[in-house]
Amino acid sequence: MKTELPEEVIEGSPRPKGVPNLSPETKKFPKFLVPEGTVLLSKDKKVTSSDDYPILGEVAQITDGEKEAGEGFFVELTEGTQWVQIDLEKSSPLYAILVWHFHSQKRVYHDVIVQVSDDPEFKSGVTTLFNNDYDDSSKLGKGTDNPYLETRYGLLVNGKGTKGRYVRLYSKGNTSNEMNNYIEVEVFGKPE
Amino acid sequence: MKRREFLSKSGTVAGAGLILGAPSILKAAEGNNNKVNVALIGMGKQGRVLFEAMSNIPGIHFQTVCDIWDYNLDGGAKKVQALQGHMPTKYTDIDELLEKEKGLDVAIVATPDFWHSPHTVKCLDAGLHVYCEKMMSNTIDGARAMVRAMERNKKLCQIGHQRRSNPRYRYTLDHLINHHKICGTIVNINGQWNRAVKSSQDIKYSKRLTIDSDRLAKYGFKDMHQFMNWRFYRDLSGGPISDLGAHQIDVFNWFLGCQPKSVFASAGNDYFKTREHFDNVMAIFEYDSEQGPVRAFYQVLTTTSAGGGFYESFMGTDATIKISESAASSSIFRESTAPEWDDLIQRGYLRRKPAPPKPEATDGISSYASAAPEEFTIPGVLNKPPHQNHLENFFASVRGDATLNCDARHAFESEAPIFWVNPSALQKEPIIFTPEQLQV
Repeated sequence: MKTELPEEVIEGSPRPKGVPNLSPETKKFPKFLVPEGTVLLSKDKKVTSSDDYPILGEVAQITDGEKEAGEGFFVELTEGTQWVQIDLEKSSPLYAILVWHFHSQKRVYHDVIVQVSDDPEFKSGVTTLFNNDYDDSSKLGKGTDNPYLETRYGLLVNGKGTKGRYVRLYSKGNTSNEMNNYIEVEVFGKPE
Repeated sequence: MKRREFLSKSGTVAGAGLILGAPSILKAAEGNNNKVNVALIGMGKQGRVLFEAMSNIPGIHFQTVCDIWDYNLDGGAKKVQALQGHMPTKYTDIDELLEKEKGLDVAIVATPDFWHSPHTVKCLDAGLHVYCEKMMSNTIDGARAMVRAMERNKKLCQIGHQRRSNPRYRYTLDHLINHHKICGTIVNINGQWNRAVKSSQDIKYSKRLTIDSDRLAKYGFKDMHQFMNWRFYRDLSGGPISDLGAHQIDVFNWFLGCQPKSVFASAGNDYFKTREHFDNVMAIFEYDSEQGPVRAFYQVLTTTSAGGGFYESFMGTDATIKISESAASSSIFRESTAPEWDDLIQRGYLRRKPAPPKPEATDGISSYASAAPEEFTIPGVLNKPPHQNHLENFFASVRGDATLNCDARHAFESEAPIFWVNPSALQKEPIIFTPEQLQV
């Protein structure tokens, strides 16, 4: 699987992390195999969120294809546990989800949870593909995945062929501030 | 300036040139149930950093926000709304803000460097106390105007050298260096802020957020690149020695308690060849401190992170203190001939680090080297955002409960030598300071 990676740009001073069990920093895009015919499903698809009035930007930016660091390329949602949700318009087996929260500073986002469902309310048929809420502070269940440093390589989540129309991503602030940010999310799957 | 005179004006002692009118301080404390009404002037990256640090301080009401970029203005206002539940007023122009807004106590100025002085002076003249980011100005005359406005209006003006309120720095200076004299005689200083190329790139922006050219021109920018990257331009900033070096050279002067007598700098645009400012600067300052001559080397490199980022090292006959805003980069190294520190360790002033394994003498050179110094840590970790303590000191001073840790006069005295680094590098000559070059 391939994607276009943004240029590496680091701004400002590193901030203290203070996060246990931090994964080693990603230094290159991982080799990841997906079935033939897998394509990017999320480009320009509709995005909704738990924050109706983002502090910076618009949620539509999350699927607009721009992944650069810099002013105006990210959306900022308010503090606390917040989610964004992508409507892929059709249910398909999903093989990879790539997430860039904010990669121009060495920071860690808390309680990163990625779920897939055919239910737009995420009340039934929910599959959790990634969860690093190690202390269950977001009350969505304790996760066993490790916290990680944001980089230009993003977070690659294995979709495992899970079928779903909606992808929902949670977070609860980060090590630099209380806010929740997204530059881009890409969902790869095989249309049926 | 002599050490004793410098010290008498620094730290927790109110400045000799700063005569504070008690009513101007008490107004905020008594008039609004201890609530301080704040204007946020500039809500770009640094403005947001300061806002986040202030959001942890009780008793602040963010009344109004000002920024020429709608992206910053709207985003900043929404941040305020998220924090305090209602929208602040919004302005593009500071003159309109100062004319219309009533009841303000304080302005937080985080605009580009060339606007620091005009904005600070306007706010002080309007009767506000001001917290302004460092470097005070891109010109020494701009910085002088800020000091004069502070003293003319008898208002508070804190400059954002936040290390002056950092407990690790204050503890190190007050207890370890001044009281226990663990460095012995400080003979040299070394400091650096080195950043990798990837951390020194042009700042990009989404083209849909472009400011119209008339507004850019009105506020001194020829285009969006200059607006986003004003730190690269000589008319708008002092360059890396000002952006990064000012923090650390301020620490040199603060810790020694005096100004240098000369500077000799070398610099170049060796990598970022199209930028107006130097991309690497090396400077040597010479001091006649109260304890004797001190020679200080400072380098700021924007093309390599070599040598471990940013820190200041105070090198003495008994020990070297390496200090940084990062606890991981802070250590004390004891010379083998220094008096024992067992008492200080027992009393918790220092903590010994485990001794590193002894290297095997295989190359025939190590027999000429000094014994490896013992390494100690400085107790205490700052568990707040780096700017919060400095802002807390400012707001406590506004309420009359403290004195400023870095008012504009003391900041000027410390920053003045920095204004002469770029000229020395351009002229390729040392500058022996005259009193006129370093005074308000």
